[in-house]
Amino acid sequence: MILFSTKDVSKTYANHKALDKVSIDVEKGSVFGLLGPNGAGKTTLIRIINQITAPDEGEIFFKGEPLRAEHVHNIGYLPEERGLYKKMKVGEQAIYLAELKGLKKSDAKKRLEYWFDKFDILNWWNRKVEELSKGMQQKVQFITTVLHEPELLIFDEPFSGFDPVNANLLKEEILNLKSKGATIIFSTHNMESVEAICDSIALINKSKKILDGRVSEIKQRFKNNEFEIVIPKEANIRDFLIQGVDLIDNSIYNQTSVSRLSIEQGRNADLLSNILKTTDIISYKEVLPSMNDIFIQTVSHEQD
Amino acid sequence: MNKIKIIIRREYLSRIKKKSFLVMTFLGPILIAALWGIPFFLALNSESESKILVVDTTLYEKNGVKSSLFLNQFKNNEGAVFEYSYDINEAQAKLKNKEYDAVLEIANTNDNPPIKCFLFYSENEPSIQTQENIKSQLNQIFKDYVLTYDYGMNKEDLNLFNNPRIGFYSKDLDSGTESYIAVKTILGAISGFLIYMFIFFFGSQVMRSVSEEKTNRIVEILVSSIKPVQLLMGKIIALALVGLTQFLLWVLLSGVLIGGIQTLYPQTFSQQNTEKFVSNERVVNMDAINASVQENQNTNEIISGILSINYALVLSMFLFYFIAGYFLYASLFGAVGALMDVDTDAQQFTLPITIPLIIAMLCFPMIINNPSGDLAFWFSIIPLTSPMIMMLRIPFGVPVWEILLSMGLMLVFITGAIWLAAKIYRTGILMYGKNITYKEIWKWFKYKN
Repeated sequence: MILFSTKDVSKTYANHKALDKVSIDVEKGSVFGLLGPNGAGKTTLIRIINQITAPDEGEIFFKGEPLRAEHVHNIGYLPEERGLYKKMKVGEQAIYLAELKGLKKSDAKKRLEYWFDKFDILNWWNRKVEELSKGMQQKVQFITTVLHEPELLIFDEPFSGFDPVNANLLKEEILNLKSKGATIIFSTHNMESVEAICDSIALINKSKKILDGRVSEIKQRFKNNEFEIVIPKEANIRDFLIQGVDLIDNSIYNQTSVSRLSIEQGRNADLLSNILKTTDIISYKEVLPSMNDIFIQTVSHEQD
Repeated sequence: MNKIKIIIRREYLSRIKKKSFLVMTFLGPILIAALWGIPFFLALNSESESKILVVDTTLYEKNGVKSSLFLNQFKNNEGAVFEYSYDINEAQAKLKNKEYDAVLEIANTNDNPPIKCFLFYSENEPSIQTQENIKSQLNQIFKDYVLTYDYGMNKEDLNLFNNPRIGFYSKDLDSGTESYIAVKTILGAISGFLIYMFIFFFGSQVMRSVSEEKTNRIVEILVSSIKPVQLLMGKIIALALVGLTQFLLWVLLSGVLIGGIQTLYPQTFSQQNTEKFVSNERVVNMDAINASVQENQNTNEIISGILSINYALVLSMFLFYFIAGYFLYASLFGAVGALMDVDTDAQQFTLPITIPLIIAMLCFPMIINNPSGDLAFWFSIIPLTSPMIMMLRIPFGVPVWEILLSMGLMLVFITGAIWLAAKIYRTGILMYGKNITYKEIWKWFKYKN
C-alpha cells in the first residue's frame, strides 16, 4: 500500500529549477531513502512534503487523498538545519512543539515522560536547552520529532551532526519505528546507512529523479557479472582462466588468493569445474554493486 | 486559529517571565518618576545661586540728588543674590577669595552705549540663566528709572506699564470653546511620542525574536507545524500584548510612585512649584502680587484647557494609530528579522524602516508650530509617519475627511505590509548562510507559496 506519493512535482525558484517533474511512491511501513548530491533538490522536495513550500506543478497524495494542512499532524519532521530555543526549558519546549503538532498538553506530557525515561534523560526536564551538550540536544530533537506518533517521518540528513553514538541510536530507533508500522523518508549522503536501513530509494540529480526502486532490485539491475573467488594461495588463478572470463584484480589475503572476475553469462560452470580439477575453492560469490558505486556511477553518467 | 493561540501564549508568557521584563517593569516607573521629579527637585534646590557683588559707578540724578543708578535696585531671586560695593579693586580681591561668584561692574562711558557693564568671574562663568537674569534686571531698572524720573510715573503706573492687563484667548467659532494651545501641544506630543516609543521598542523586539528563531534553526521545525504567516502574526500579537501589559503596569506603578512621593513631600509639589517649573522666566521678573494673580489665571487656564479637549476622539484615535502603527511596523520589522543570520548584517534592511520613524520624530517641532500646514498634512496622511504625526494634530482639530483618508490608507498599508512581510518572511527564514540582497528579495515575490 502506498502511504505517500508525489506526481510530477515541479518547483522553480526565480531562474533556478529546483525540481523537475519528480514522482515518488513511498510504501507504507517502509524506509525510503532520498538520495542525491548537494543542491539536487532533496530539501526542496522535503519542504514540499512538509507543506513549508508549495509546488508550482504536480500533485501530492497522503493516504490516497490530496495533501492538506491537517496532515502535518501525521507527519514528523527533523530538518537538516535544526535547533531549539536555547533559553527555554527542555520539557516545556517539547510540550510546546507537541502542541503545535496537535497534541493535547496532558497527552504530550505522558508521552514525553515515556521517551525521556527511555533515553534516561528525565532529569533534564527542567534544564534549559543551552545547558545541554549538542548530543543531548539531538536526543531532545529526535523525541520532539516522533512524539506525536506520526505515520510519516521525515529525516533530512539525520546523521549529519550526530556523534557516532547518537547516530547509531538514531538508526536503531528508525528501524524500531519502522517495525511499529511507521513510514520513514530520509535524505542522506551516507550510503552505508542506505544499505543498512532503506527498503527503497529515489535518486535525484539536478532536480530530476534519475533512478528509483527497491534497493535489492536496483542492485540486481546494476550488477555486472562480477564474482569473487577465493582459492588457496599456492594456486594461480591465471592458470584457470577460460574464454569469457576476465580477471579484474587479484590479491593474497590471509593465506588465500582472492580474485575478482568478470564472467560472461553461462561460463560459470565451465570455470568452476576447470578450477576444481586442480585445486579447492574456498568461497565463490556474486559481487553486487554497493549503493555508493551505483550512486557515483549514475550521477557521473548523468553529468557526461 | 488554535495554533496561533499556542504561539501567542508561548511568546507572551516567555517574555513576561523574563527577568528583563520584571526589571523594566519596575525600573520604568522609577525612570518616569525621575524624569518627572528631577526638575522639581532641581528647581527647589537652586541653593547654588550665584552671589554677585555689584560695583556701580554710574551717577544719575534722582529727585535732584545724584546717586548710583543701580545701587540696591537688584532683586534677589533663586538665580542670584546681589550685594553692593564701591571699590572695584576690593571687589575683585573678594572675587579671588571666592567670597563671591562674580563681580558686576557698571560704569558710565562717553561711548555708545553710554552704560557699560562687565561681569567678572574666576573659574566658573555664571550660567547663561544667571547672565540673562542680570541683563533683564539691568534693563528693567534703567527703564523704571527713565519712566519714573523723566516721565514722572508713579509706582502704580509703573506696575501697570510693566504688567499690562491683557488676556488673550483663541476660540473655536463652531463649538465656542476656548483653545488652549499649550495643553493641546503637550497632549499631542505625549501621545505621538508614546506611539513612537512603542513601535520602536516592540517592533524591534519582533525583529529580534524572528531572527533568533532563524539563527536557532528552530524555525524550520515550527513552520512544519504552522503556516509561516501564522507564526509571524502570533509573534506580533503576543509582543503587542506584552507591550500593553508593560504600559499598564507602568501607568499603575508610576501612579503609585508619584502619589507616594507627593504625600511624602507635599510642599515640594505645591501649586507654586509647579508654576515655577512651567514658566521659570515669568517668576524672575514679576512682582509678588502679580505673580500669584497670574499663577491662578494659569492654573485655571490649564484646567479649562484640559477640560476642553474631546477625549473620546483623542483616545479612540490614539488606540487606532497605536495599534495600526505597531502592526505596520512590526510586520516590516519581522520581515527584516527573517533576513538576518548569524553572519549577515541586516543594517541595510533596518534603515529603510527606521528612517521614516526618525523623520517623523524630528518633524515634531515643525508640526507643533504649524499643525495644519503642508508638512503636517502630508505626514499625517502617509501611513509610515501618520501614527505619530496625526496624533500631534488631533488635539488641534483635523477635518474629518483627512482623518478618514489617513485611516483608510493606513489599513491599506497594513494589509500590504503584512502581505509583503509574509512573502519575505517565509522565504527569508529558510535562507541560511547566504548574503541576501534587495535584488534577491525582489525575486522572492515571484515565488508561489
